Amino acid sequence: MSTIGERLLTKFPGRNDQIEQLLSLLGEPEDPAPPCVFVYGPSATGKTSVIRDLFSEYDTSGCHYAYINSVECFTPRLLFERTLNAWAGHVPSPENRFSNYARCDNLVDFVNSVRDLLVTSGKQHEARYMVIDQAERLRDRGPMLLTSLLRLSELTGGANISVVLISNVVWDKFRPRHGGAADPLSIFFPYYTKQQILLVLAKDCPVDEPQSFFLTFVDAVYEVFHRNCVDLNELRHLVAMLYPKFVQPVFEQQATRNEFARLFKLCQPYFAAASERLYLREISTSEWQKYSAVASAKNNPEDVATSIYHMAENSDGMDLPHYTKFLLISAYLASYNPSRLDVQYFARGKDPTQKRKRKGGGASAAAAEDALGGRDRQQLLGPRSFAIERMLAIFYSVIAEPVDSAVDVQTQIASLITLRLLTKTSAGDRLDGIKCKCNVSLEAIRAISRSVRFEIDRFLYNFT
Amino acid sequence: MPSRMSLSGNATQLADTSRARKAVLGRLYGRAPLPNLVGLDSPLDLVFSLLSRTVTSAEGNTGLLIGPRGSGKSAVVQRALDMLESKHGRGAAAAAAAATVPTSKYHVVRLSGFVHTTDRIALRDIARQLLIEQDLENILIGSFADAFTYILNLLRSSGDGSVPPVLFILEEFDLLAQHPKQSLLYTLFDIAQSQQTPIAVLGVTARIDVMDLLEKRVKSRFSHRQIYVQCPQKKSDFVEIARSALHVDASSDGVAKTFAQQFNAQVDEILAAESVARHMAHIFDFGKDARQLLYLFVTAASQLSAQNQLLQLACVEASIAQDVASAKMQVLSSVSLLELCLIISMKSLVQGGSSKYNFEMVYNEYKTFMSRHLLVASAGGAMKVYKKPVALKAFETLVELEIVRPVATSMAADGGGSYGRNDLLAGSAQSARAPKEYRMVQLMLEPGQVVELVLDRVDVPAVIRRWAQQ
Repeated sequence: MSTIGERLLTKFPGRNDQIEQLLSLLGEPEDPAPPCVFVYGPSATGKTSVIRDLFSEYDTSGCHYAYINSVECFTPRLLFERTLNAWAGHVPSPENRFSNYARCDNLVDFVNSVRDLLVTSGKQHEARYMVIDQAERLRDRGPMLLTSLLRLSELTGGANISVVLISNVVWDKFRPRHGGAADPLSIFFPYYTKQQILLVLAKDCPVDEPQSFFLTFVDAVYEVFHRNCVDLNELRHLVAMLYPKFVQPVFEQQATRNEFARLFKLCQPYFAAASERLYLREISTSEWQKYSAVASAKNNPEDVATSIYHMAENSDGMDLPHYTKFLLISAYLASYNPSRLDVQYFARGKDPTQKRKRKGGGASAAAAEDALGGRDRQQLLGPRSFAIERMLAIFYSVIAEPVDSAVDVQTQIASLITLRLLTKTSAGDRLDGIKCKCNVSLEAIRAISRSVRFEIDRFLYNFT
Repeated sequence: MPSRMSLSGNATQLADTSRARKAVLGRLYGRAPLPNLVGLDSPLDLVFSLLSRTVTSAEGNTGLLIGPRGSGKSAVVQRALDMLESKHGRGAAAAAAAATVPTSKYHVVRLSGFVHTTDRIALRDIARQLLIEQDLENILIGSFADAFTYILNLLRSSGDGSVPPVLFILEEFDLLAQHPKQSLLYTLFDIAQSQQTPIAVLGVTARIDVMDLLEKRVKSRFSHRQIYVQCPQKKSDFVEIARSALHVDASSDGVAKTFAQQFNAQVDEILAAESVARHMAHIFDFGKDARQLLYLFVTAASQLSAQNQLLQLACVEASIAQDVASAKMQVLSSVSLLELCLIISMKSLVQGGSSKYNFEMVYNEYKTFMSRHLLVASAGGAMKVYKKPVALKAFETLVELEIVRPVATSMAADGGGSYGRNDLLAGSAQSARAPKEYRMVQLMLEPGQVVELVLDRVDVPAVIRRWAQQ
């Protein structure tokens, strides 16, 4: 028993309390098992890996625990049948025509099958565990499922069965409304502290690199990123991506391992890029490796800057036809501007900025600011739906040259809807009076406007 | 601990410890009955007499056992059945005994509203529990009463011509009463009343208004015998429950007498300890739930081993601390600074009078604050305004932790009962059309909790601290 503990403690640094608590709850196979254990904590804190490793070490026969991912087993039937298969050591294969151990359409079948299984296995007193990962999903599988699982050992006539639920949501959000079951024992997996993160990431150290050097780097990465991200997986990803760039100057004889500050300075542009592009997965791992290889501090600092710029440049896929861009712009204006101001903005021969300064902008914007601190601005509330006719009117107003074919415009609207740049809010089968919303962000619409040399900011009401 | 030295780790005492661990844990988990039921004597007598009259004098009896969750209803029923068993021999109900020929005088059938969700399922399970092997598919076509009579007839023919008494224990009776037409309950009550077959029907429920759920024809066949189980009235009784679960007994738990004495003395010491007594009083004042009380001692009991042969006060105190701490606050106590800032922004939006808000508003609030205070802040510590996508990712972490929940646009569509997925993209049809930055959400924390959260942390810059306290 203690050997399992030691092995797990070395494998999962920083989770000592949790592992010890779990091991003491498990005890010997014949000991009474807790009816339900609730393991919770934020993501990337080692809940699933600790539990899985623990059980596979604890239960060498593999027939006493069933690991079930609740996303995979999306109906009670799948959940029950998988559990029985695992407990019975039954594997669906060509020999048994991929059949399950037993068919369980409902809870009664499951309870009865479990009883039979325990009797036939002859090891009635040994505890069986049912580990359910992402248990928060169980809540939408019918109101009774969760309660019944919590009382499973009671329902099976006191069988030594334990249900282990793993979730990143606290128990308060699980508690059944009708209060059918007592709160389970809970085990909390907190976020890793800085020291623990260093211990975990020390295991990632490349074999031919000095560990203390690597850890100094990890420390630096943690200090840069911990203010917006304490997720171990994210930090690991960043470390794995940034470390090659960090040591590159060493191999290119630009700096030595002792000149940490200098190395850090050389790597600085990559950190800046990483904090946005890499962290948000806007750039994939392979792309990062490809582009960052182009640049190295050895060539000259300017090259690094250009290559970072290359990485940071958004070659966004909005390569729309000219008129379609204008359609999208007018949809954006229709979504975010109040219709009462359309005349001011779009009536021909008038300068919108002048108008706005005198009437619209100043007075009413200030009024809105007073009422709710400017929090009901359309910019914050999101797009409003508009009638397609209004959008067309704005379109013909903002576009400089006359457009001949109305048919093509309609086709383009349809294709914008297909591209989900516009979303239709009126009923699907309605042909007239169609209403839409513009689904594009301000940054994207600014980029589009720039590409057609349209100053959208002059036309937007009450934007900051 | 006082008697540690006298307990040298020899083999018999090790075995004692593990036996004590097993026995105590079994009782704490509710897998083994408590040796004495505190304050439940009168309901126990009533239930026992009801059941035993059916067994001994073939009466048809019906009754309802009503009491709050965790007050000991199931324990009463179990104890009454155990007493019957010791008086009349083994009931043939348990399915585990399927192989043996039913020789006893009575049957027990247990149904639960959780499991037996329809009358059809219930009927099949009744047949199974009565050890009828025959395929029932063909008889289930007719009416419920016919099928049920058929089952009883089968039972009669398998015995010596008369139907042995059958005790029906209906747990979660209120759920069984919600089956359409209540034909299961009607049939059972009807048979119990008509005296042809001696059956006892005992419903167990936590709903005090359960009678209103019954249809008129069902109600009129019910004997209206209601037995109430109450939560412990006195704090001393409540403590007594814990004591009876934690004490080991030399004869029944199979441990040495001296060990049992030492063990029990330590238990008494722990129960008398000030911190433990205070928390037990707390549980008593809030819920009187015995299960919650017993779970308090699980960690301590599970750590009984060669090193700790007696319960440790420190372990109990640790689990008390765990019990007192709010799980939500624990999770949040180490979120990243950016996530904390977003929480504070939401708090200040709430205080500004918005009941619901979306990510754009939260980010706007955050940006406004940061731009106002960035100069001050950057002097004290490194702080920067994060870009919108980075903030959105942090926001989504909060959504994943269900600290931030999407506002349900219509409660009626939600059905009241379902929880729904907590996902910015899963919403009602109307809000699903808006990009996720604009979905309306709510913070699941009180402003006071946010302040507490910020004050508990050491790594928060003074500006943010002041912002949170505004």
